[in-house]
Amino acid sequence: MVFEFRLPDIGEGVAEGEVVKWLVKEGVEVKENEPLVEIMTDKVNVEIPSPKKGTVLKLMAKEGEVVKVGQVLLVIGEKGEQATTTTSTAPTAKTPVTTTPAKSESLVPTPSTPAAVPKKPQEILATPATRKLARDLGVDLSLIQGTGPGGRIIDEDVQQFKRSGARPAVVAVTMPGKAGSEERIPLRGIRRKIAEHMIKSKHTAAHVTHVDEVDMTEIVQLREKTKESAEKRGVKLTYLPFIIKALIPALKKYPYLNSTLDDQKEEIVLKKYYNIGIATNTDQGLVVPVLKDADHKSITQLAEEIARLSEKARAGQLTLDEIQGSTFTITNVGGIGGVFATPIINYPEVAILGVHKITKRPVVRENQISIRDMTYLSVSFDHRVLDGAMAAEFMNVIKQYLEDPKLLLLETD
Amino acid sequence: MTRKTEVVVLGSGPGGYVAAIRLGQLSKETILIEKDTLGGVCLNVGCIPSKALIRVARLKKQIDAGKQIGVEVSDVKVDFAKAQVWKKSVVDRHTSGVEFLCKENHVTIIKGEGRFTGPHELEVRTGSGTESIEAKNVIIATGSRPVEIPGFRFDGTHVITSTEALDLKEIPKNFVVIGGGVTGLEMATMYAQLGSKVAVIEMLDQLLPGLDIELVRIIERAFRRLGVDYHVKSKAKEHRDGKVYAVLEDGKESSFPCDKVLVTVGRRPNSDTIGLDKTGVKTDSHAFILTDKKMQTNVPGIYAIGDVVGPPMLAHKASKEGIVAAEVIAGMSSEADFRAIPSAIFTDPEIATVGLTEAQAKEKGYDPIVGKFPFTALGRATIAGETEGFVKIIGDKSSDLVLGVHIVGAEASDLISEAALAIEMGATLEDVAFTIHPHPTFPEGVMEAAEAAKRKAIHILQK
Repeated sequence: MVFEFRLPDIGEGVAEGEVVKWLVKEGVEVKENEPLVEIMTDKVNVEIPSPKKGTVLKLMAKEGEVVKVGQVLLVIGEKGEQATTTTSTAPTAKTPVTTTPAKSESLVPTPSTPAAVPKKPQEILATPATRKLARDLGVDLSLIQGTGPGGRIIDEDVQQFKRSGARPAVVAVTMPGKAGSEERIPLRGIRRKIAEHMIKSKHTAAHVTHVDEVDMTEIVQLREKTKESAEKRGVKLTYLPFIIKALIPALKKYPYLNSTLDDQKEEIVLKKYYNIGIATNTDQGLVVPVLKDADHKSITQLAEEIARLSEKARAGQLTLDEIQGSTFTITNVGGIGGVFATPIINYPEVAILGVHKITKRPVVRENQISIRDMTYLSVSFDHRVLDGAMAAEFMNVIKQYLEDPKLLLLETD
Repeated sequence: MTRKTEVVVLGSGPGGYVAAIRLGQLSKETILIEKDTLGGVCLNVGCIPSKALIRVARLKKQIDAGKQIGVEVSDVKVDFAKAQVWKKSVVDRHTSGVEFLCKENHVTIIKGEGRFTGPHELEVRTGSGTESIEAKNVIIATGSRPVEIPGFRFDGTHVITSTEALDLKEIPKNFVVIGGGVTGLEMATMYAQLGSKVAVIEMLDQLLPGLDIELVRIIERAFRRLGVDYHVKSKAKEHRDGKVYAVLEDGKESSFPCDKVLVTVGRRPNSDTIGLDKTGVKTDSHAFILTDKKMQTNVPGIYAIGDVVGPPMLAHKASKEGIVAAEVIAGMSSEADFRAIPSAIFTDPEIATVGLTEAQAKEKGYDPIVGKFPFTALGRATIAGETEGFVKIIGDKSSDLVLGVHIVGAEASDLISEAALAIEMGATLEDVAFTIHPHPTFPEGVMEAAEAAKRKAIHILQK
């Protein structure tokens, strides 16, 4: 019996994924739950296990190809059977998916082999005027995900696509470089996601960056004093948990920085929960695991969780749940170097905090030059949602708590 | 001497003249070649004159119906010769309108028969000689002509095409129509209403082949009332001694007396009479010229539009394609990317359709839902005495998109534009159902059909 295995609904609103790597070849036998393919969704890789035992008759997607939920990934059947492919998309039941590496989790197979249903026509919904605009701008409507009602492509989508210069409808003529002097690396996986995400943020949010300098001397001392006892508990204490602790009261006081802008309804959505994304560098590229409900966690709990998440990030083992739902993001480049940076907002959030290197610098204190542990903090914000004054006041609150950490004791969570 | 121009439009039907005017608007130097009268079949011997004569027939019907509502006119008679004079005045008015618009848009009109001598060279035989033209771009808009069938050679007097059928001096006593398509049924209805004894012979298994059979049933009923003798699955064999001989569905041969026999069994593209072999332009197996969405043929600078590129053979399709070709020549990004082409049939009641039928929607993989609303439930229809027919709307269950609208009933030809707009704009059933339609009007039927698809129409019982 030929079985068409479709990309299951992975949850959390994931509609498509990129085939990163096939783990099986056509003609091989697979066992139930054996990993078939590595799929990149949003920002994590998931391994899709086989729902049943059989022979892989045909792989229906190439590596690097983006497949939609419900699209046929591969055909499994008995040896010698013909892979008569009928359709490419159809709704499927929710199928749980295990993340890399898939070992013990079991998988409920899709309920029934879909019959030869004719393919649902791929509607490209756009009014004649929008279609004309797309032609005028040389934009291929089939590449655009519409944001209008029912997925309609509206003028704004076409213009946005054009501005983002994403994938041009007309293939650009590239000048051949000197042989051997250039290397072409396909934009794949996390890199492609990052590219899409960054361009979306840059083209959507009205970025402004506000920078302040912060005297971290007290925090440095506090960390020195507590580091050891934390280590005894098996926790490596960095500055980041302290900064998060100072950030939370600032977000509570200025909730606009912990919000998203709903473009369609033209409403600002203030979040009453504090999930802090931590931008983490990995070999694959940037990923952002999320500290859920950071306002309810102690410094050591935060430290533990940061350590756990960053380790998983580097190993490429983050689950979808662990990278979704952030309300505000911190990016920390202090460990690497530089004076300060102007980070790009983790869209659709409206602000991001840049944390930088702490260095001893001479500063003036009570008309004396004194040596203090200084750093720069930068906050990039979406000027559509808030103004510079609020960003500066927000930064003042963070600064106040970091320069006088005793105040943190007065905070309840 | 060879005349040079930017664009030649070959043929001045509703595709060609529209293209020429648009080119003029876009400041392209344009020559429009027409072998006959400006306006092509549509204006001279098709859409316009047929609708004019159909109005005569309808008016007579309405006057007759006046008795029921207290308007009595005695001794109603049709002066057909006078009707023809009026019809001609309608045609002349519009052809001269086209000529005026062409001239005002600086389009040069050459009366004569044009044919290619090379991809960009044409020769025009005019009344006074032959003219050579060299054009950077050519739009082929030569239309189509009726096809003949064995046993029925067109003679212009007894065995006729629609052209002659629209120009008869008197109403025929016995009128036989071979071919139950759009033109055939419009003429059959018209002459039956004017008093002819009409028979229709169709080879396929239904009148108006390809159309939703539910709509056709209404026309069949109208035919029975009018006394039109129609036969499907029947084959006309020959015309002899004032009779049409045909083998009917039961396999028996029958004869139909006629003073005129109209043969409307289809049209073929005029791609064979224009020296196309000199250009290298490709055609398909039915001799239709192949084009892309920009109406470009395989030969750079040669475009084709209208009937000559294939069905549906409709004036409004030709016009839209003409505009596209003109704009593409002017360097614009236009494409013939319409989602749906509406069509109207001027039978009584009228039929108009746009988009998919329920069966086509299923074939394409949709999950269609259907809403139907009868004219009997429309106040306006009752007042007009036109309660035959219904509006049928096809939507997609999951996306709620309007996929097709099929109307049989009074004013269907005017009602369909709303549906075409809905489909072109990607409207949902909800959009159509929600939009307020004025009362009491025929278009309420479209709104109510959209509501009926969700089983929430007000003016019919949906239990």
